[in-house]
Parts: sequence; structure tokens; C-alpha cells
Amino acid sequence: MYTVLLAVVAAGTPVAAHHSAAGIDRTQSKTVTGMVKEFRWGNPHAWIDLDVANDKGVVETWSIEMTSPTFLLRAGWKSSTLKSGDKVTATVRPFRDGTPGGLFVSVTLPDGRVMTERAAATP
Amino acid sequence: MTHRSPNRRLRTALTLVLTVGCLAAAGPALRAQNAPAAQASPAPAAPPLGALAPANRAKPRPPAPFDVTGVWLHANSATSNFRFAPPDGFKLTPQAQVHYDAARKAQAEGNVYRDDIGQCWPAGLPLIMTRVWPIAMMQYPTAIYMVSEFMNSLRVVYLDRPHSDPDVVVRSHNGESIGRWEGDTLVIDTQFFIGHHHWIDSGIPASDAMHVVERVRMVNEGRTLEIAYTISDPKTFEGEWKWTKRWNRVDDRDIAEVSCYPDLNDHMPSTRSKENVR
Repeated sequence: MYTVLLAVVAAGTPVAAHHSAAGIDRTQSKTVTGMVKEFRWGNPHAWIDLDVANDKGVVETWSIEMTSPTFLLRAGWKSSTLKSGDKVTATVRPFRDGTPGGLFVSVTLPDGRVMTERAAATP
Repeated sequence: MTHRSPNRRLRTALTLVLTVGCLAAAGPALRAQNAPAAQASPAPAAPPLGALAPANRAKPRPPAPFDVTGVWLHANSATSNFRFAPPDGFKLTPQAQVHYDAARKAQAEGNVYRDDIGQCWPAGLPLIMTRVWPIAMMQYPTAIYMVSEFMNSLRVVYLDRPHSDPDVVVRSHNGESIGRWEGDTLVIDTQFFIGHHHWIDSGIPASDAMHVVERVRMVNEGRTLEIAYTISDPKTFEGEWKWTKRWNRVDDRDIAEVSCYPDLNDHMPSTRSKENVR
């Protein structure tokens, strides 16, 4: 719904969505570890495809929607921040219908850095 | 039996050819002379100068009270919400009420109701003004060009002309915007919208009868743009709805090319067509 379209995440980070976010369960978060299949750096959204083994050991691809590169740049992201094959841990607000994936919250990179969409505070 | 000489036959043939030729050539002129005067086509008037024509921009005009040229980002806040939500006590027309009720039901069930923007339809006025994307504005004496980074939606506010003849105007999601200066305020009147796949708020459709008036002021020493909206749409709701929104000048921003990509939509449940409540 438009009530949540372009909504502001609790932390105050704007989500430059081009669509309704009604399919996102904002009351939940899920954290998964997997292998980066693709990191798409583009407008209107960047996204991460993350291959994650489920409880039965079957690999599922999680589609993780991010904000636009314009905002990500201010949060320290570059197109090379994630590379195919990187093993990362991601936290998302999950899709309501159980489809693997959701709205990006944060990711822990192989070197231990935690990346969000929030711009660094201006001194 | 009479025998004509070859020269005489040649002369006769040439005379015949020339006569036919002259008649053929004179035919249109003769027909034009005989035609009623009322059918004569007037010479077409020269088309008016475009808004960017140097000769148009150079015409003498009073100086504009302010210049919006720059990049602006809607200031989402408690007093300047990105939604154009209906006011207290609003009353919808029966056909709009159907959409509104369906949207509330979908929302309660955690579904999406006619998220046309997510399906790549233009946001259109008024929603295009409050996306969480910057808008680049370029002001000339004759027009203001607004390009939202969101899907690079183009909106032109003409300052050098009245509204078009309704019989020839080409409708659009952003409508036809005509501006005029009233003291320190720019008043923009926008009409002629496309009335399908176009929304004012969730479940509140924008019809082809929508009429938007924006009173634009530059405040906060040029760092804030304030627009007071008055919208009427007799096919959707009774009376007029009013809001005031603000935009901050963001001098450290440029806008980029942004398109709606089918493969991006296929990537997410929220934008797959089958997931949308129609």
C-alpha cells in the first residue's frame, strides 16, 4: 500500500522503493548465511541474490532488495563491495508469503565489516 | 486520295500534344478559378515558438520572483508527509468507494492493491512530487522543466501560454501544467490527466477530471520549496482536498537515469503481476 510505499524504516533510512512494500513483513527479521550469487548495482534498486542452504540442505536463492545506489554510496557501498562467491551473512525483513528473500537490513562481509543502508553520521 | 507529307503529319501531331499539354497544365488553375472562394485554404499560421526557443526566452517579461533551478528532495516529516491522504470526513463517489474498500481489505490481508507504480505505470501528479527521489528543476522565463529521478518522469510547467484546447490536448499522468506569477507565489494549474492506472493515494483513484492547483513559494532563504496543494476530482471525491508539502534543496545531489525494468520486477514477489490484487 502507499501507506508503506517508500516507507521509512524504523532506523530512519529511506527506502527508495518503486513499488508497494505490502509484501514485506516489517515486524520480522531473518538472518541467513550463504554465497553471493549476484550483486546487482543499479537503479531503481540494487539487490543481492544469495544462495542459502535450507533446513533440508537444499540451496535456495534469496532475493534481497536494497535501496538505490545513490543512497548506498552515502552508506559506503560500491559496486565491488560484494562479489559473486563471497560468503556473507545477511539480515532481511522477510517476504510475507514465505518466498526466500526480503528487504535488506544489513550484511556482514567476509572481512567482518557490517554494512547497512544508513549513511555515516556527519561529524 | 490525299497524301500528307511527313512534315505536315509531324506538325499536326506536335500541335495536338501541345494542346493537350496546355489544357492539362491549365486545368488546376481553371478549376481553382471556378471554385467557390470559401474553399480556398488560408495560409497556415506560423507555429508558436517553443518554450526553449531563444527568441521566446528573450521576450521582455517581468523578472521571476524566484528561481527553482536546482535539485530538490521531498522533506518527509510529520507536517509534510509523502502521502496525499484524504482529509478527515472525506466523502468518495460510489465508484471510488469500491476501490477504497478493496484497498483497505487488501491491506488488512497483507496484500497489495493495484500497485500500478510497481508495474511500471507512471506515478503521475500528485504522487510523483513526493517520491523519495530527488527532482531536478530547470527554470526559464517560459517554462520550468522538472525531471524526477524516479523513472525520470518529465513534467513541464509552461509560463508562456494558456491551457491547450481540450480538443487537441494530449492527456498524460502528469497532466498539462500552466503557471503564472502572483506576487511572490507561482501558481500552477494542472488539468488533462490520464484517468486510469493513476492514484492519489492507496485505493483513491485519480480520474481524468482531476484538477490540481499548486501555490509554490520559496522559503527559508531559498533552501526550502513549499507547495500548497488544492485538488478536486468530482469523479472521485466531493469538494477540495488540501495539503502543504516541503522540499529541501540538495546541492550535493544529481539525478541519474532510472527506468522500470521487467527483470527487476520479476525478481520480487511484491511486483510480480500475479501477486497483485486487481
